Amino acid sequence: MSNISQDAAVSVEAPAAEEDYFTYVEGVGAIPRDIYKYVESNPMGDLPRYSVHIVIQHLLVVATFLVLAATGLPVYFADQFWAPYVINVFGGADTARLVHRIAAFTMIFACAYHIVTIIGGTLRKIINREFDYKRTMIPRLKDLLDLYQDIKYFLRLTPYRPKMEKFMYKQKMHYYAIIWGNAVLITAGTALLFPSLMTHLFPDTLGQMISHTLETGGSFPSLFQDLARLMHADEAVMALIVVALWHWSNVHLVPGRFPLQWAFLTGKITREHQIEEHFLEYLNNLKEIPEEREYMKNLLDKSDSIKRE
Amino acid sequence: MSANHLWKAFFCCAVVFICLVISSTVEALDKEDCLVCHKYRFIGRIDENGKRHYYNVDEHIYGNSLHKNVACNDCHTSISKLPHEPVTEDVNCATECHIRPPFTQQNFSHQKIINIYNESVHGIKPDDPPELKQAKPYCKFCHLNPLYTKAEESRIDFDVTLKRCLNCHQKKGVTQAYIHINHRLRKKTSRSPQEIVKLCSKCHADVALMKKIHAPKDSLDAVETYNRSIHGKSVALGSQTVADCISCHASNALHDIYKKENKKATINEDNLQQTCRQCHAQTNSWFVQIAVHPRVEKEHNPIVYFAGIFFRIMLYGAVFGMIGLMLFETYGRRSRGIKFLLRNGTSWRGKSKIRTKSKKNQED
Repeated sequence: MSNISQDAAVSVEAPAAEEDYFTYVEGVGAIPRDIYKYVESNPMGDLPRYSVHIVIQHLLVVATFLVLAATGLPVYFADQFWAPYVINVFGGADTARLVHRIAAFTMIFACAYHIVTIIGGTLRKIINREFDYKRTMIPRLKDLLDLYQDIKYFLRLTPYRPKMEKFMYKQKMHYYAIIWGNAVLITAGTALLFPSLMTHLFPDTLGQMISHTLETGGSFPSLFQDLARLMHADEAVMALIVVALWHWSNVHLVPGRFPLQWAFLTGKITREHQIEEHFLEYLNNLKEIPEEREYMKNLLDKSDSIKRE
Repeated sequence: MSANHLWKAFFCCAVVFICLVISSTVEALDKEDCLVCHKYRFIGRIDENGKRHYYNVDEHIYGNSLHKNVACNDCHTSISKLPHEPVTEDVNCATECHIRPPFTQQNFSHQKIINIYNESVHGIKPDDPPELKQAKPYCKFCHLNPLYTKAEESRIDFDVTLKRCLNCHQKKGVTQAYIHINHRLRKKTSRSPQEIVKLCSKCHADVALMKKIHAPKDSLDAVETYNRSIHGKSVALGSQTVADCISCHASNALHDIYKKENKKATINEDNLQQTCRQCHAQTNSWFVQIAVHPRVEKEHNPIVYFAGIFFRIMLYGAVFGMIGLMLFETYGRRSRGIKFLLRNGTSWRGKSKIRTKSKKNQED
């Protein structure tokens, strides 16, 4: 039965053109697009993806994010029965407030560290003439086309996934969501932590001008404070739900990554994952890593000789 | 045996004797022998309406209460003989008792704070409608004698504490007495913020009652909006440092609560900066406009209202969009034969052989 259904499914897909299917790499050979199904992968990762700085930043953010959520949620849901129990784990409402602020400053430090790393790394690459915007998080039109191609692949309308760069549409989406979320949370959080400082930052004339145009919304600092209260909580709850329900399952629970993708600790990606979702980055790996070139050449030669027999 | 030892033995006996005397202070205070009858646990009566009255006084509870040094007759002044007639008069807290505060020649009374209270919004005014008169709290509504709970101590400025002493005492000499002041006076109120909020909510959370006595429209949802604010949430979670009702609505006299239109009110437009400055040192004219009782209403604050809707849409969009894409992707990849576990070097077990470029094509 399964054979019949598989055959039927395959027949729906357009036969792959040889030129699209094979990618010829100098000194390696013609690499078929579905080679990821046949390569050898180490679950701990084979190919470099994240530098040690990125791994540290990620761990910092994970730790602070969890602490921030644990100390922030009980305040947002103060009327729920579980809130006092959670807040007491952190030494009561007054201590938890301090813990929340320390964690927040640590997270801001991680953000600053990340910005420094990114700017420094980019400058180094520009000086070494290695910089390639395609290998960065910069969004491109191709990402949208990739998403469209991928949806077609999941619907079984095309036989292969699109050839994607180091960061695919999903990762770019998540990255910009984090930038937006951090901007909102840090701005709103600062406004909540220093409400009086915030009112001093708005010059009287500006505040009066804006409140005059708004009329109903009260003065601008008060409106800003209201917005900060709303945004800090809503954005945090959204970030938490997205991380708990999507990010964790997307990186650890989906087929091929289950039960744990080690990249967040080792900074390395498995070979089959790299070829499947980041084929163009794999081609860069072939150029840069002689061992990988050797491995792929041997794999292709071996299967070639098996075929000839 | 030397005289020295004898003196020591005598001293020990004296200490024990003094301790014994001190431990029986309540009985000593009970000069009128009220406890002869009132010590019995079930002393009481049932009146014409069938209501039960209990008249028991537990000497151990009373002996540890705030009024432990006040003799019964000081407050229950209508009683002049034993056994006494049925009591028809309520205790008046403005009565002078025979306690004499240090450095004064006057007997103590709560008259001063009662005068402040009577002027406040809670004091009964002659032209109040009867239902309002009935709803207004009197001393004993909030204050019961056994106020045992110790407020958590935290060090605050001497000046701030002293202000409270001056409600009742003369300034002269009171600084010397300061070392005798117990823990209660280290904070603005002796009750915890949680108790204050609970006490005020007893009436103010009852919207039907508040409507009946024609409370201003703004104050109808005061409890609800306070509980929604960061102050209210922190108090609900046990904070001892954030603002409760009294922190903003009364000065150090604690009983001077007025409507905000009144010039004397701490929440009057002119006094707001001073009130906020108790905690927020950098308060300015913009700061006091920030909502302490935040409402999210379409008419009052359309921008916040629509921002809330925008965030709600974003939340559901992001969560369902992302999870949908993930499930869809998993379905697509599963149908191409990927397995969940990466085992023996691959997640794509049981697939056919690699398709390599044919010899003919390579020669082209």
